[in-house]
Amino acid sequence: MPRFDFDQDGVVVVVGSGAGGGTLATDLCRAGVRTVVLEAGGHHQPGEFIDDEWPSFNQLAWLDERTTSGSWRVAQDFPGLPAWTCKTVGGTTVHWAGCCPRFKDWELRIRSVHGPIDGASLLDWPITLADLEPYYDKAEDRMGVTRTNGVPPLPANNNFKVMGNGATRAGYQDVSTGRMAINSVARDGRPATIQDGFNFQGDRQRAHWSTLTAELPKAEATGNLDLRPQSHAFRIAHNGGGKVTGVHYFDADGNERVQKARAVCVACNAIETARLLLLSESPQHPDGLANSSGEVGRNYMRHLTGSVYAEFEQPVRMYRGETMAGIVTDEARNDPDRGFVGGYYMQLLALGVPFLAAFLDPGAWGPEFAAKMDAYERTAGMWLVGEDMPQASNRVTLNRDVTDQYGLPVPNVHFDDHENDVAMREHAYAAGESVYEAVDAVNTHRVTPYPSTHNLGTCRMSADPAEGVVDVFGRAHDVPNLFVSDGSVFTTGAAANPTLTIVALATRQAEHIVDEMKAGAL
Amino acid sequence: MSTQAPAALEPHLATTVAALARTLYPHDALGDQVYARVPAKIAEAVREDPAQARMVSEGVADLDGRGEKPFAERSADERLADAKAIAGSDFFELVRSTAVVEVYSDTATWRALGYEGPSFAKGGYLRRGFDDLDWLTDLPQEA
Repeated sequence: MPRFDFDQDGVVVVVGSGAGGGTLATDLCRAGVRTVVLEAGGHHQPGEFIDDEWPSFNQLAWLDERTTSGSWRVAQDFPGLPAWTCKTVGGTTVHWAGCCPRFKDWELRIRSVHGPIDGASLLDWPITLADLEPYYDKAEDRMGVTRTNGVPPLPANNNFKVMGNGATRAGYQDVSTGRMAINSVARDGRPATIQDGFNFQGDRQRAHWSTLTAELPKAEATGNLDLRPQSHAFRIAHNGGGKVTGVHYFDADGNERVQKARAVCVACNAIETARLLLLSESPQHPDGLANSSGEVGRNYMRHLTGSVYAEFEQPVRMYRGETMAGIVTDEARNDPDRGFVGGYYMQLLALGVPFLAAFLDPGAWGPEFAAKMDAYERTAGMWLVGEDMPQASNRVTLNRDVTDQYGLPVPNVHFDDHENDVAMREHAYAAGESVYEAVDAVNTHRVTPYPSTHNLGTCRMSADPAEGVVDVFGRAHDVPNLFVSDGSVFTTGAAANPTLTIVALATRQAEHIVDEMKAGAL
Repeated sequence: MSTQAPAALEPHLATTVAALARTLYPHDALGDQVYARVPAKIAEAVREDPAQARMVSEGVADLDGRGEKPFAERSADERLADAKAIAGSDFFELVRSTAVVEVYSDTATWRALGYEGPSFAKGGYLRRGFDDLDWLTDLPQEA
């Protein structure tokens, strides 16, 4: 791999190597653009992954100090862990489960569809589904998404047989093993799944799409990639002319480095992306870089989430097979008569014994709790993922009272549910219970949201620079050579798991950056 | 610098902490060695933290003081009542938060609860029952 000079200001610096950054960097490299990727985590290979939940968590999770506030239960149960994302090459694509629903047309313009909603900072996306569709097509192809491009579906596992039969008996129509970025057949140099589970622990066999295994190796093969693991960016340098000039970071030995850049693309996942821009404050940008709107860090979304687990008389063994290969889409529709706007999916979910114990009812103990764990082998599970309302007060800020291992202010994540979120979650819990009751569940358990895996909206895309941080291509309204390339740009969250859309947007952004470079505009 | 094994808790403290762990996460099928992980882990945590070590000693003394017999020798019902009485204390939370990780990370627990864990080295569950549930009908595979 080449090592570009720190002073080589013709390179593009991408901060983060996950779904957004890893995809963007790969496309830039393939187009001939010299690209430096700064990744805070180490370069773990699939052979190093650990199929044991807590040791894997300690290997892959982003565990730098953070603080929380607000009325969400996560702030009480896991006050230092608002989000469960990864710190490793490949970012959170290393532990994602592979669900790939697309946004629906109306989900990109929910402000227009519903009008203003009290307490919500709703805004239409400045792009439409028609703008996205060609990039969804490309993303599904590169990721090998099942049920697209002739890729066969994944087979039904035990946990899906329970949810699928229940959903069908409960009257749901669109019930399947879903569109998954997991190889059902060998494809793109990666094998078909052997149904070995542990989707959240990295994928030892490489059947899942990740930027670690499916993108960055292709970028490296171009000779244009300079991937720097254990490189923690903490400040984006900028000049008096209003442009960014490079990125300050701490290398593996803790030395401060500065990589000069022609353009900088930030893709650190929504909490760290906002934090990096806020840390880059200066006299020209007193409230943080690219923050003349005041919107950096605001409108933080994390999806509805919640889970339902159910006990049965007979064994389920939910842990066998792909963790989330199952979906019911009927409730992902726009039907305010249900008492809320937006929709949600029911998706398959299995946890191993260690994590079910931790998350089933955080803090719970005693004979009743133990009895639930005794039913582990007879337990089925699903996740509820739906649109949550953006709120200006749900926000990532710098907590200047607490510093990290580098002496930098840690991010504080403040979150309160909107009443729409609460109404949707109640509906979703009841729907999940009805699914399991339709196949004679002995018991059902409503499970509170876990630390956030879908972190969105902290640098939202807007047509009007006063209302958001980036334009239709993810370019900062305030800074012409600064881009945001992850889920931070989501104007609203939709119900869909975000990775497919992040990849589609990164693909589109890469094309735009290359075009702008060719035109001499960047 | 030599690496020493973490000093164990004094035996009575270890026995009492293990008994509290079993009270919090009671599974008849589990042997004492599973619950013994909890005082062992706490020993690592308190080894260089005198304040924490004192909290554990005082927490154990408090539990013992709540009945005639030492806490570890009381009936399950009595231990449960005592645990409820101290729930939320720093000592209780140290033991609970350690126990919920240690008890459910032990492979003996996994076996007792019917969790087989990793399968990669065995070729996954593809030919080892990922779809062997037979008390419901198979669903049609939609295109």
